Amino acid sequence: MPDRSQSTNPLREGIVSRRVAEPCAIVIFGATGDLTHRKLVPALYNLAHEGQLPSGFAVVGFARRPKSHDEFRAELREAVVKFSRFQPINPAVWDAFAQGIFYHPSEFGDADGYTRLAKFLQQLDRERGTAGNRLFYLSTAPTEFATIAGQLGASRQTGNARIIVEKPFGRSLDTAHELNATLASVFDEPQIYRIDHYLGKETVQNILALRFANEIFEPLWNAKYVDHVQITVAESLGVEGRGGYYDQSGALRDVVQNHMMQLLALTAMEPPISLEAEVIRDEKVKVVRAIRPILPEQVAQFSVRGQYARGSMAGKPVDGYLNEKHVAPTSRTETFVALKLFIDNWRWAGVPFYLRHGKRLPKGVAEIAIQFKAPPSVLFAADCASPLMPNALVLRIQPDEGIAIRMNAKVPGTALNIQPVKMDFRYGGSFGTRSPEAYERLLHDAIAGDATLFIRSDETERSWQIMDALLEGWKTAPPPFAYESGTWGPPEADAFIERDGRQWRRP
Amino acid sequence: MATTLETFTAGVETAVDVVAVERQLHELWRLAAESESGQVTRACLFNLVAYAETEEARDHATNVISELTSRDPCRAIVLLAKPDQPVAELSASITAHCHLAGGGKQVCCEQISIEAAGASVEHLASTVLPLLESDLPTVVWWPGNFLLRPQIFTRLGAVADRVLFDTSQWEKPAEHLGALSKTIAAMPGCNFADLSWTRLGLWRKLAAEMFDEPHCREELTRLNSVEIVHGCGPGASLRALLYGSWVASQLRWSPADVKTRVRLQARDDRDATSVGILSVTLRSDDATFLIQKKHGERTATAKISMPDICGLPRTRAFWPADDTSLLSQELDHTQRHVVYERALALAAQLAGNQ
Repeated sequence: MPDRSQSTNPLREGIVSRRVAEPCAIVIFGATGDLTHRKLVPALYNLAHEGQLPSGFAVVGFARRPKSHDEFRAELREAVVKFSRFQPINPAVWDAFAQGIFYHPSEFGDADGYTRLAKFLQQLDRERGTAGNRLFYLSTAPTEFATIAGQLGASRQTGNARIIVEKPFGRSLDTAHELNATLASVFDEPQIYRIDHYLGKETVQNILALRFANEIFEPLWNAKYVDHVQITVAESLGVEGRGGYYDQSGALRDVVQNHMMQLLALTAMEPPISLEAEVIRDEKVKVVRAIRPILPEQVAQFSVRGQYARGSMAGKPVDGYLNEKHVAPTSRTETFVALKLFIDNWRWAGVPFYLRHGKRLPKGVAEIAIQFKAPPSVLFAADCASPLMPNALVLRIQPDEGIAIRMNAKVPGTALNIQPVKMDFRYGGSFGTRSPEAYERLLHDAIAGDATLFIRSDETERSWQIMDALLEGWKTAPPPFAYESGTWGPPEADAFIERDGRQWRRP
Repeated sequence: MATTLETFTAGVETAVDVVAVERQLHELWRLAAESESGQVTRACLFNLVAYAETEEARDHATNVISELTSRDPCRAIVLLAKPDQPVAELSASITAHCHLAGGGKQVCCEQISIEAAGASVEHLASTVLPLLESDLPTVVWWPGNFLLRPQIFTRLGAVADRVLFDTSQWEKPAEHLGALSKTIAAMPGCNFADLSWTRLGLWRKLAAEMFDEPHCREELTRLNSVEIVHGCGPGASLRALLYGSWVASQLRWSPADVKTRVRLQARDDRDATSVGILSVTLRSDDATFLIQKKHGERTATAKISMPDICGLPRTRAFWPADDTSLLSQELDHTQRHVVYERALALAAQLAGNQ
């Protein structure tokens, strides 16, 4: 979001930093949970450390367990010591930050708890200068969203407020629509911030910079030159104690519907006319709307599911999915999914986008690979032993963030031997600085009222519409193919892409 | 001593013939690319030419570059000029600064050191120019007073995209502010950065941020004084003068007002932070805006006192700025420092040398 403060604040001229957010109180629902301790509060402390929080600022933890303010502060201090990117923590900064931390014990459905909360926040307005500005962060199970939003509405706390909702945004089009309707009955859409932490990652934001700040890529970024796109989000971990949740969710709902659809939208979108939130979100929605629907009877043609079986990871034997705790022994939940999507617009007509995500794959990696068409081989075919490899541009999201280009070069010597070579740009090698955590960026944006990196209701619903058809088709399809843990998915996934004369990349 | 890949990447300096520098480096990087481990990657985003006139300054520059290259990879060319030596001599050596990156790999940058004595100093620029990596920006880091070496500076400055210097290291800097201001104005194609100004970055930011808050913004036009308390360490009074000039020039105070509104006060405190400013107080009739740094504490606090304002202080981390971090900050900043140039011109007036 452009910083307009400079025009009215001459002291800001030439200072490269975002303006300090306006005074605000953040209420975290589910404040005793893992997300609060590992991510949210360390991110807020990091912002305080860098002077990006306003003087009028408070954090109020809202949770069921009885606890004093001081007990809550002590817990959070431990979390910050462990998870802040600034080590060791600065005692004076912590002390000043901790003075604004409070705890409010209440059941999520207890109306009286919200009345007390409203009074307490008014008290903080007077004592800490939070100026009636509220940010409600729902870090709870999705089943609590409607209750909390309803209670906030009933206790009239939604005026000068925004609400942040963590994924999953529903588990189907109907439930997403229902959630959106519930939130919309209490908050206006501009007040609702649906958070997908993937959008807070520097390298994801860099997709826009790479595409639109470099003249050399954009002219090639279309069906004329691109053969296909592969988006891979691979995890080496299994469900790791989340079997109960995961078995009800699966790979498609857990990762593809949100993270991967965001990567796809940023990769395929048209150039926005500005960097304003609504403009960028409009362009992303246009991409999702242009994705060709997959009919339930077409799922075998456009998707492959897998489920990890026994195998080995890093030299150690590991159990299969069906042996995980809290997983039904006859579960048909997919832990791997490969999709082929088409974006039916002028730019991408006929270009397949292959999406691949799975657990217990050989390594944790996320990347977007733009595979260009093969060059005409008339010139070198007679002399070269093997056909020329097409060019590829790979955006590595994690780990080892960077950009690689594969091109062909002549091997030195008298013979005409052409081989692919890789030009590699690594963020770690060029920018040694530690990037802010994704949640730092997103929380700062939410406090400042910048919704660019948050997801709009129409985007989630359209995305669910595509997923729903797949889920519907899978109900009557054969069960997921088993794949050995530590491999790149079931052999059927290889056959799936090989049918099109292509191959999966080995990230 | 023969240069091997191992000695080179281990940071050992090896003497080479000045004309053979490029060829030698090329050979070493070729060996690195062909090594069995393949664990060495060369990285280079810009050319950094550092100028020194004593061994101590040269060694300091090398140490800074060694750290700097982990964040800002570059080809470093470190010059040691000894113009007062009777015999003309020119020698060169090469080494690398390597840092562990992910996956056990090393990212390395090369450093070329050139020493010139006597009449050879005049030829330093012609030695440097062919060693600059093409298509990359060139940054000249000249901590001392380049105004005193116009001949060398003019030739190096002509190829520089940026010149980084540090008035805090100059002798009697206030006497040179007018000439500095004119030199910068005469070179519009080159961006100059004074590390004295960079050190003030957090202080300027803290002041600006206080007026981001909407209820405080109106007070900006009503400010009628700025009081800067500074220590007695090297360059502290100069930085206080620059800071006061910045406030005055940004708020468009008239020259007559500046002399009464900008107050500098020295306190016997050598201030280990290298910034030298201890507190800043901006005042209007109704409000006081105070920024304070406690000695020895790595935090700064900004506090606003005005009617109907809660007035809680804002505390943020405030770390000491060494040369490496100052250079790194400046390398992130690619635009011309027009605000500095404005403040510098006013500071020169106040110092009475323009």
